[in-house]
Amino acid sequence: MIDLKRLCALALLILLGSACTDPASDAFRFGLASAPTNLDPRFATDATSARINRLLYDRLVDFNDAFEPVPSLADWEQRSPTHYRFHLKMNDHPFHDGTVLTAYDVKATYDFILNADNASPHRAPLAVIDRITVQNETSLDFFLHRPEPLFPGYLVIGIVPARLIATHYPLYEHPIGSGPFSFLARPDETRLHLLRIRDQRRFEFMTVPDPTVRTLKLMAGEIDMLQNDLPPELIGYLENDETLKVQRTPGTNFSYLGFSFEDAVTRQALVRRAIAHAIDRREIIWYVLDGAARPAQSLLPPEHWAGARDLNPITYDPEKARALLHQAGYSLDRPPRIVYKTSSDPFRIRLATILQHQLQQVGIVVDLRSYDWGTFYGDIKAGRFQMYSLAWVGIQTPDIFDYVFHSESVPPRGANRGRFRSTRADAFIDRARAAPDLETKQRWYVQLQHHLAGTLPYVPLWYEDHIFIARREVEGFTMARDGNYDGLTQVRRSSPGAL
Amino acid sequence: MRRILVPLGIILLWALVALLAPMLPLSPNAIDLPQILASGSPDEWLGYDDLGRPIFDRLLVGARTSFLVAFVVVSVSLIIGSLLGTVGAYVGGWIDLVLVRVIDIFLAFPGILLAIALAGVMGPGIDNVVIALSVVSWVGYARLARAQVLSMKERDHVHAAVAIGTPPPQIIARHLLPLISAPLIVEASFGMANVVIGEAGLSFLGLGVQPPSASWGSMIRDGTRYMLVAPHMVIAPGLALMGVVLAMNVLGDRLRDWLDVKSQTRKTAEGLIR
Repeated sequence: MIDLKRLCALALLILLGSACTDPASDAFRFGLASAPTNLDPRFATDATSARINRLLYDRLVDFNDAFEPVPSLADWEQRSPTHYRFHLKMNDHPFHDGTVLTAYDVKATYDFILNADNASPHRAPLAVIDRITVQNETSLDFFLHRPEPLFPGYLVIGIVPARLIATHYPLYEHPIGSGPFSFLARPDETRLHLLRIRDQRRFEFMTVPDPTVRTLKLMAGEIDMLQNDLPPELIGYLENDETLKVQRTPGTNFSYLGFSFEDAVTRQALVRRAIAHAIDRREIIWYVLDGAARPAQSLLPPEHWAGARDLNPITYDPEKARALLHQAGYSLDRPPRIVYKTSSDPFRIRLATILQHQLQQVGIVVDLRSYDWGTFYGDIKAGRFQMYSLAWVGIQTPDIFDYVFHSESVPPRGANRGRFRSTRADAFIDRARAAPDLETKQRWYVQLQHHLAGTLPYVPLWYEDHIFIARREVEGFTMARDGNYDGLTQVRRSSPGAL
Repeated sequence: MRRILVPLGIILLWALVALLAPMLPLSPNAIDLPQILASGSPDEWLGYDDLGRPIFDRLLVGARTSFLVAFVVVSVSLIIGSLLGTVGAYVGGWIDLVLVRVIDIFLAFPGILLAIALAGVMGPGIDNVVIALSVVSWVGYARLARAQVLSMKERDHVHAAVAIGTPPPQIIARHLLPLISAPLIVEASFGMANVVIGEAGLSFLGLGVQPPSASWGSMIRDGTRYMLVAPHMVIAPGLALMGVVLAMNVLGDRLRDWLDVKSQTRKTAEGLIR
């Protein structure tokens, strides 16, 4: 069988060889599973765009490993509960067109987003801003409608030049920011060329949707590195390749099962609790995810400053699950029947099939249906489901609970897709929102997470790790918990000839 | 005759497997995570898939899906297509004109694309795959039946039947359909192969059977992701699909030769000359 595998790999590599790109170029090539959809940070929402835009644009504030806001482009001082003053660190970060980034650019960027006519998807969390006034070129004030201790953490959107905003310059096509990388070209949808400013090194981001083809390109040296979006088995296969190296870091992307609270079966707490106990997370993580994940107890990971570290883990206990179903009035003759929707991504279908099997072991009849992403996501937003699985990506601030679980956050106002309505949860969220300081907020959010662990509007599954795979000569990449590509600012080749 | 028996035997063998699959002690959906992607062993000689399910069991159950879809789609298409083609050609006039235009429209659009579009609109599922493939498959039978009837209806026995006042449905049923059945059977044998491939293609695209049900197309689709680490996931269903489609095509080819009276006569004549 080993020979057969080698034969397959060789055949595929030969086929791939016919489509090789210019091997003489010394640019770093980074493999992507999906292309960035928008290079304008005022509009970008997908993960790939957000990660690329971090390279192209600077932002006022960033997050540390505990998800606390820390200065990036600017320091800040809180002058009153509704007044923040930001001081820019000047001269370090001119825009790529040579102009200096000033407080006027910051104001123009955020004023643009706050203008409802511009339909920026980032407007909702920033609606707390009452007005922005510029003190001078290096400092500006943000005045809020109400006290919001989390506010600095909202200012993570890349700053774009005021001059270009005024002229409606198409930044989504030709981005001009002040980040460590500048835009060179985008010959087509699958290729994006950036320039690392400090050493004029070219980087090419190549979109290769198929994981096997991406893997073969990495093995053939057509791409130098990639991150995530590979089946665990392929990662294990690449770990045995001496020309490659694999790095892992714990991630925070939260996978979960969601339920409809308007459905007669899934709105029953006993049924949701039975589902939680019927799933063997550790077995799935070990055998299917190749150990590259950790069981989740809540939407926020325990290392988050607002995370609940003392939540009891949900145990795998099929007997308890059967007893709960019996208590809910179900039996083998009259089992609960649930339609489980998932996307048509093969890996998600694979996980869903395992969950379907495990739920059937305790007497829950699951009808699995996979749909293309547009149909699936449309159904989820419209509440057309009994049970579904999805993941939250890039969560930084705890106000996500307001967006996801408050009874007033039913789409389109928020992401309470299951129509979960709990007066207790609402009370915790409202108190956390109104809390004057982070300590009080943390207390309410922890209590909220205990309440959610009891009512289970979501059944938490796991946080998937981030995996970075590169050619052996590629060095210096530091992985981030949120999976961003900031490590590319330091990446280099060890081979002197290549430099 | 022996030339027909070999491909027919292969198809009948698989058809028998498909028929008996529910009665066999198979566990195609039994997930065993520690066995994920394990290659062949004396106990399970085709190995396990990406969920630790036995590939041999799934191959046999997948045959049932492929044959069920092929049988239903070809039967429906054959009946509808033959009826429409025959009636259109026999009646003629505006009915035939409309039928020809509809056939032209269907032929102008790639069949598999239309099936993908239909299956996409109706949603995934084996019943919708049957409907989608039937919608695109009847055209071939209708065109063939129409062409055959256009030549047959001018024959003396048909004119005689008309002359003695035989009703048109009876003429079609007794004097035309038996004569055009041979080419239609040959077309159906080729059609079976096309439908098996069509089902595999739609399942490959995620529009066919839904998990955890097995079909050869969905097995190949799942296997392509593991070509580097577990090629056995693709090889077994791939070879099975290739074998059945090849057998159906060869059977159709040989049936055509066997049912072709002129060809048989020519061969006999050649034999006599020698």
